[in-house]
Parts: sequence; C-alpha cells; structure tokens
Amino acid sequence: MQRVALLEVSDITVRFGGIVALDDLSFTMDEGQILGLIGPNGAGKTTLFNVVSRIYDPTQGSVTFDGQDLTAMSAHEISRVGVYRTFQNLALWPGMTVIENVMVGDHTNTKSNVLSSALRLPSMRSEEADLRDRAWAALDELNLTDVAYSPAAGLPFGTLKRIELARALIANPRLIMLDEPASGLTHSEVDSLAQDIKDLRDRHNLTVLLVEHHMRMVLGISEKLVVLNFGRKIADGDPDVVRNDPEVIEAYLGSS
Amino acid sequence: MNWNFDVLPDFIFNGLSLGAIYGAVALSLVLIFKATTLINFATGELAMLGAFLVYVLHMEQGIWLWLSMAIAMGLSAGLGVLIERTLTRPFDPEDHLPVVLITLGLFLIINAVAGDIWNYQVRILTNPFGKFPDWVPSLGGDRYVEVLGSRLKYQSIGIWLTLALALFALSLILNKTKAGLAFRAVSSNVESARLVGVHTGRTLGFGWAIASAFGTLGAVLVAPQLGGVNPNMMATILIYALAGAALGGLDSQGGAVLGGILVGLIQAVLVTWGGVVVFGQLYMSILQLAAAFLIILIVLLFRPAGLFGTRRVERV
Amino acid sequence: MSTPLVVVAKDSAEHKKWKYAQWLYLAGFLLLTPLVLEPFEIGKMNRALVLSVAILAVNLVVGFNGMLALGHSAFMGIGAFVTASMVQDENWDYWQVIPIVLIVGFIMGVIIGLPALRVKGLYLALVTIAQAAVFPTLVNIDELGIAARTGGPNGKGVSEEVIAPDFLQWLPGVTGARGGSAYRYWIIVVMIGITLMLVTNYLRSRPGRAVLAIRDNEAGAAVYGVNLPVVKTMNFAISASIGSLAGLMWCLDKGFVAGQDFTFLLAIDLIIGLVLGGVGTIQGSIVGGLFVVWVNDLTKRISIPLGLYTLNGDGPLAKAIFGLILILFTFFAPGGIVSLARMVQAKLIRVVPLAPSGEPIQPIESFDPGMESTRADAAMKLSIAGPVCLAIGWLAMNINSLIVGVFAFGFRMIILFAPVAVLVATNELKAHAEGKRPDSIKGPANTARLLGLLGTAFVIVYAAQRFILNY
Repeated sequence: MQRVALLEVSDITVRFGGIVALDDLSFTMDEGQILGLIGPNGAGKTTLFNVVSRIYDPTQGSVTFDGQDLTAMSAHEISRVGVYRTFQNLALWPGMTVIENVMVGDHTNTKSNVLSSALRLPSMRSEEADLRDRAWAALDELNLTDVAYSPAAGLPFGTLKRIELARALIANPRLIMLDEPASGLTHSEVDSLAQDIKDLRDRHNLTVLLVEHHMRMVLGISEKLVVLNFGRKIADGDPDVVRNDPEVIEAYLGSS
Repeated sequence: MNWNFDVLPDFIFNGLSLGAIYGAVALSLVLIFKATTLINFATGELAMLGAFLVYVLHMEQGIWLWLSMAIAMGLSAGLGVLIERTLTRPFDPEDHLPVVLITLGLFLIINAVAGDIWNYQVRILTNPFGKFPDWVPSLGGDRYVEVLGSRLKYQSIGIWLTLALALFALSLILNKTKAGLAFRAVSSNVESARLVGVHTGRTLGFGWAIASAFGTLGAVLVAPQLGGVNPNMMATILIYALAGAALGGLDSQGGAVLGGILVGLIQAVLVTWGGVVVFGQLYMSILQLAAAFLIILIVLLFRPAGLFGTRRVERV
Repeated sequence: MSTPLVVVAKDSAEHKKWKYAQWLYLAGFLLLTPLVLEPFEIGKMNRALVLSVAILAVNLVVGFNGMLALGHSAFMGIGAFVTASMVQDENWDYWQVIPIVLIVGFIMGVIIGLPALRVKGLYLALVTIAQAAVFPTLVNIDELGIAARTGGPNGKGVSEEVIAPDFLQWLPGVTGARGGSAYRYWIIVVMIGITLMLVTNYLRSRPGRAVLAIRDNEAGAAVYGVNLPVVKTMNFAISASIGSLAGLMWCLDKGFVAGQDFTFLLAIDLIIGLVLGGVGTIQGSIVGGLFVVWVNDLTKRISIPLGLYTLNGDGPLAKAIFGLILILFTFFAPGGIVSLARMVQAKLIRVVPLAPSGEPIQPIESFDPGMESTRADAAMKLSIAGPVCLAIGWLAMNINSLIVGVFAFGFRMIILFAPVAVLVATNELKAHAEGKRPDSIKGPANTARLLGLLGTAFVIVYAAQRFILNY
C-alpha cells in the first residue's frame, strides 16, 4: 500500500549566534509511521522538536504537515492541525491534578469561554462533563486512574511521562512527537512502553516521531530511522540498513 | 502659543544632572538585576538610609562630608551583602514572587524605621557642590557659569564629574579585578560560572554591595535638589530610575545610565514646553511622573529589551 | 495519625453533612457579624471585605497566572472615582454604575496588560509599580475635566446615603444604631458572594485551567493550544475589572474618595493580604483582606503602649511590623494562612473523588484503620479540648492584654470542632457494632460523643442567644 507523506521537513537550518544547531535537515514521514530520530547528545533532536512545535524559529527552511506550512503558524496554532508533543524534561502543570492536566490537553478542541464558564451555561456543563469522561478514558488507557486526582507533581518520573502521553492522546493527535519517553524507566518498563506505543499507534491511527536514546527500543519499534550528528543528517531509511551504516557506527562509537 | 525657548537650556542642564542621578539609581537596580535577575524594590529605601547615614555622620557628628559619604557607601555595601546573604539567597531567583515580596517587605521596614528615628520632616544636608571651591577662578558667579546665555550650575558639573568618576571606578572594578571578572561571569551564566569554580554566592553579594553603594551616592547627590533628606525622598526617584532602567535595558549598565539621563531630559523638555508653557507650573510634577509611566509602557511595546539590553533565547 | 479522622466519598450523604455544617458556620458568622460588632467595627469589617475583593483581583493575576501585578490600587481608584462621579454628578444609582465600572476596568486592564504581558518576568512588576505610583497624581490634572470629576486634591464626597429600603429592614443589624454600616455590610457580602461564585466557576473550567497552565509551564501551555498573550491579557483585564469593582464597593462603603486613598501603600497592602491569606487560593483572598485590616489595627494598638506609635494615622512601626510579617510569611509559610488551615483540614477529613462510574476511585473501606484504630481517642481529645480551651480562653479574656486577648479568642474557637468529635465517635461505635473495633474503643467513643454533643449544643445555643439578644 502506498503511504502519503504527512510531515515534510525541508532544508531546516537553525543557528544560535555562531552555533549551527541544525544544518540543512530534510526528511519525510509517512502517515501511520513510527520514525525514530536518533543521534548523540547535542545532535539537534530536541531542537527539531522545538522548530516543529514553533518554540524556535528556523533560520531557513520549512516544515509542512499535511500540505500546511507549520513555519507560518505560531506555537499555539500547531495543535489545531493535530501536532502534539511530549517534553524531555516534562512540561506538566504541577498546580493542577493529573486529570485536569489531561483535560487541558484538549484545550484546542473545546470551546467554553470566560462567559459561559463563569455563568456555567448548559453548553459549558455538557462539554465539561464530556471532557472529564474522555480524560478519564485516556488515563484508563495508560493505567493512570489511581493518580487521577493527585497533583501532577511528586509522582515517579515514569508515571509523569505517561501522564504527558495521556495528555497528548486526549486531543486525537495525528502526529505525536515523543521526546525521550523511556528516560528514567527500568528495563521492563521500557519494553512495555514500546508495546504501548505500538498499540496506541494502531488504535488511534497515530504517526509517531520518536526521539530516544534507548537503542533497543528505537530499533524495535521504528519503521524508519533518521540519524543526526552535529545538526546534520548522516543517514535515513530502513532501521536494519541504517544501523549497519559505517558513518552511523562511527558517530556513535566516536562520540562515546 | 507662546513658546518659551529661553529657559530651555536651563532645563536641559537641570534635566541632565537629575538624569545622571536617576542613572546612578538605575545602575543600582541593574547591577542587582544582572547578578540575581531580581528587581530590588527596596533600592530607593536603601539609598535613603545611606543618605541618612551621611546626615548623621556629617551634620550630627561633624565628620568631613566626603569622608562621611565614603563611610556611608561602605556601610550600605555591607548592608547590601547582609541582605543578599540572609534574605534573598535562600530563594530561587527564577521564582520572582518571593524575592519581590522580600524586597517589598524591606521597603516597608526601612522606610518605617527611618520614619521612626528621624520622622518625616525634611532635614537639610550640606550640598557637596553648593558653590565653587575657592581655588577655582571666577567663571561668572560662585555657583554657576554662563553657557549659551544660561546658567550651568556648579552643582550639575559636580554631579557629572562625581558620577563619571564613580563609573570609571566601577568599570575598573568590573574589568580589572578578579571579583569583577567573577561578577561578569555570574551575570552572563550562573551555572557555567559555578562549574568553572566561581564562588557564586560571594559574587552575588559583591553585586549587592556595589549596587547599594551606588544607590547611596545617588541619594546624597539628589538630596540638595529635594531640599534635604527625608524618609520618603526616594519614592519618586525610584520610579524615574525604573523608567530609566527599562529604557536602557534591565541588563545593561551603560544602558541604565543613559536611560536615566534620557528620562531626565524628557522631563526637562516636558517641563519647558508642556509643563510651564502649556499646562502651567503646577502640573510639572504630575506630568513628569506620568511621563515615566508612559516611557515604560512605550518601551515595552516597541523594544521590550530596552535600547541596549539583550534579548534572551528561551530554552525548553 | 496516618489516615484522617473522617474519610468520605465525594457527594456521599456524609460528605454532604460535612459541607452543610461548613455552610452553617459561615452563615452564622455572616449573620452575627453585623449584630455583635460595634458600628465602627462593622466599618472595619466592610473595609476588610472590600480589600478582599481587590486581593482576589490581584490573586487572579499573581496567584493563578504567575504574573507579577503590583499596582491594583490604581484599578481600585479608577473604579472608586468613576462611581463617585456617576453617583454624585450624574445621579445614577450605585447598581447602575456596576456595569460601567466593570467595563472601564476591563479596558484599562487591556491597555496596561497588552504591552506588559508580551514580555516575560519582571516587566509587568515594573509597569504596575509605576502605575500605582502615578495614579494618585493623575486625579489632580485640571485638563479634560478630570479634576472636576475627581474633586482633585480635595477628594470627592458622595452625598447619597445608602439606607436599607423598607422591604429589607428585616436584615440583621440594619435597624437601630448600626443600621447604615450594617446595610452596607449586607450589600458588600452579597456582591462578594456573587463575585466569588463567578470567579470560582471561571477558574475551575477551561479558560481558568489555561490560566493555571501558563503559570505552571508556559511552553507546555502553548504546545497544547493556549494562546499565551490573549489568555494573559484577558485574565489581567478580568482582574482589573474586579479591582475596579472593589473600588466601587470602597466608594459605596466610605461615601468619599480621594487620590491619597489609592497610593502605592494600598497596593502593597493588597500584596501583603495576598501573601498572608494564601497565594493562588480563592479563600486566601478573603482571609487576606480580613487579616490586613485587623492585623493593621492590632499592630497599631500594640505599638501605642510600647511607645512606638509616634505619628497620627498609621504609626510608622506598624508598617515595619507589616514588612516583617511579609518577610516571615515568605520564609516560613509561603502558602499563607489557607495552607495552614488545609493542613489541619487534612488531618480531619479526606474526600475521595468519584470515577465516572460513580464509585469512589479507591474504596472507602480501604482507609479503615481496623482494630488498631486510634480515631476514638483522637475524637475524645478533640471533644475535651473544646470545653477546656473555652474555659482557658474565658479566663484569659479577663487579663487586660491585647496579645493574650487575641490568643484567647483563637482558643475559644476550638469548641467549633465539637461536631467533628460526634461524627467520628458515631462512626467508630458503628464500626464496633460491626465487629471492626475492639471493645476498648467504647469508653473514649462514648465520652467523645457525649462531650461533642454538649459542645455542639453549646455552640448552637450561644449563637442563637447572641442572635436573638441583638436582633
């Protein structure tokens, strides 16, 4: 079956002062694909996430998603086309409960405004009830209902990472970008996370852009690999081919 | 309309000397902001306390004015270090609220304690530049020289020279001493500075110390223009200094001084054309304060980092 | 004590009982205030409640959105002057001015918030401090008829008297000597009630959650579709609007407004109230307002005998004590009084939330301490503490010292917990009947129930007697 390119990163360059964080990076991603983006520390993986989610402006180049130019949008508009992400060092809201965090996850697709909320109009109440049910379902899917009403702080790192995942899932994303979801997890947790990501992809028709250092996991679930080193793409393609690429081996062995 | 250009140079000279003082207080704000990324709302009150120290030492104890100033600056520096060490260091500077609360609390305490000791009457403090010293040949008057048909007061010249000297000393300290180097390292990146072995705590204290000393200098210089010292003397000065710091950029020493001077000049122009000519004498002070507020708003609208400040790149 | 004394499922019958009891206490407090306080004390209470609304406004920006707005005295001033001018010059009624004040406040909030909120961090603090400092001078400007409207340096009085109409004469307190201030008290209470309800609804739904998300993590909020400048500015404008409403209430309460009422020092008072009450909690705003006024009163009264009260009006050291309190709270109780109260509450009750199925997310039984339960003992201690503290407090009230008096007052309030002892003891006896408790709990539980009932009866009789006596 011929898949359609969903995300297209073309000629992205990001410079901070004299430092080139990303150098003319291009790759494409098909709908429904799990793409592993790997590379040594400082290779520019998180920088790419920040460009796609519009926290950084690229110096040049463009990112198109389903035919729309993401670089012309601002950060809060990205979620409207269905692009969501998690954060390497978590970006939860510890002042709210876990379920409220997940409810904010669908901010883009809900409508209640200041007036309807302050007056608790019927439209707002039904939307709120529905939102709460869906947030509960998202938490249930990731086995998080036990902590639903705890503050989103002070929980184990792995749990917090899963809460971020639930928060992204509730909005029915088309593309989800996971920034090191396995960091801080034990071996068995990593294996179950890998299975979870596959299952979620199948159930929710996701496209997954995955940044991860955990090689076994990346190689285990990725259908395509893109390898970065010092902001430059050094290889992309089928994982089995890429892993034997001499330049990739050199980048990894040479840097560690 | 009856434009009154004759008085303009007078007001410009005055604006430049007031502006220089705003610059000194703005510099005090900026030095602390650079070191700890907090705005010290007690800056004005610390400076006021310094001016009262000079008052006690000079007017009550009879110590030579300049020596009194040196002692007062030293003591304010010590107080700055003490405050930094005990009150602000326990808090994460990235979390703005607690440190702002601490400095607001200090504002209340210092103002109230000064009010309790010296009450709220204005007390005359000797003007360090009241008239030219005897060894200066007569230049037209014993308090001023004629420039462009206007009077350039000895006081203005004295303020400029003193602040120029102080700025020169500051740049020497920052650029030629080890403590200065450490300060510049810490203010550009605390983490990296700590990693290369800079004693960051001591350095932050150093920032507070020179900032407090500068504030005191500003307060002593401004006192004669306000008729003397009193516990509320710095309230409006602080607002102008904040405007100056915002205009120049909160993280630029040179910007703070220039920003302060610009605020002083804008005031002068407002007073001449707006205040005196259009609205009448009474509304000078109102317009000046409102101008400070408008300057801050306009700077934020068009150049949020100020004229000389650096934009920061967000890291996620 | 590892588990709290009472564990209930949300919205269960027992939870409702608990909530009703809280509402009852609140109602009792509100009803008795205008009846038992002296007229000048009701005036202070009114001022405290007005400040509470202003503190709520500050809290909306500082506590819930993490933005440092320090100049709400100016918004209060705008609201107060607009009200004074409309009522005095245009003969409008106070209630007709409410929408005008809300809109004017909102627009001012947008004008100031839009530039200040585009940049991060301390810039809003800069702008708002300047705003607070400038405001009192602006009302003196002659141009544009401003001074005529505001009364300039002399201030502006409102001659319309606020007197209860005939059909409201039944309100507690409004007949008799304290009538005027008591009626104004009731107006203010109703306005606060409505404001609190609307603000709570706002904060506990989609737009409010976006506001909190910005406070907790801006980048995260943006990625999830929160338009940062729009939400921040909107929230700031709502806050300015509520601040102006507090100004209207100020004018209504005092009948006189002057630029010197709305200085930077008032702005700092609001911040102090915010910190004392609890940053980021709605109840904290109300508590904060009460404390600012009463603590200010207290520091003044303490400083007189100590010889520290050297000026007319606020003694200078009263302000120093305020500054000290601010610093002490920042160090040792950053969550304010509300967080301390919540710690106590957590020891008493835990409400288990419900899953969509209607079941508690954890079974209530799983919290049962079983045969090792010490709840009966705790209930007994609580039931004994009430009357003992009441007696101590009553004795201490006779010692002519203000500080002792304050503590004595607090001591006497412990009797209010008597119903908790009854509830816990009854639960324990029920568990005993089901065989989940050893026989040894019967003694303490029965004692707790008896003393608790007596204490509860005392509270009810005492309140009713005070009510009837003064009504």
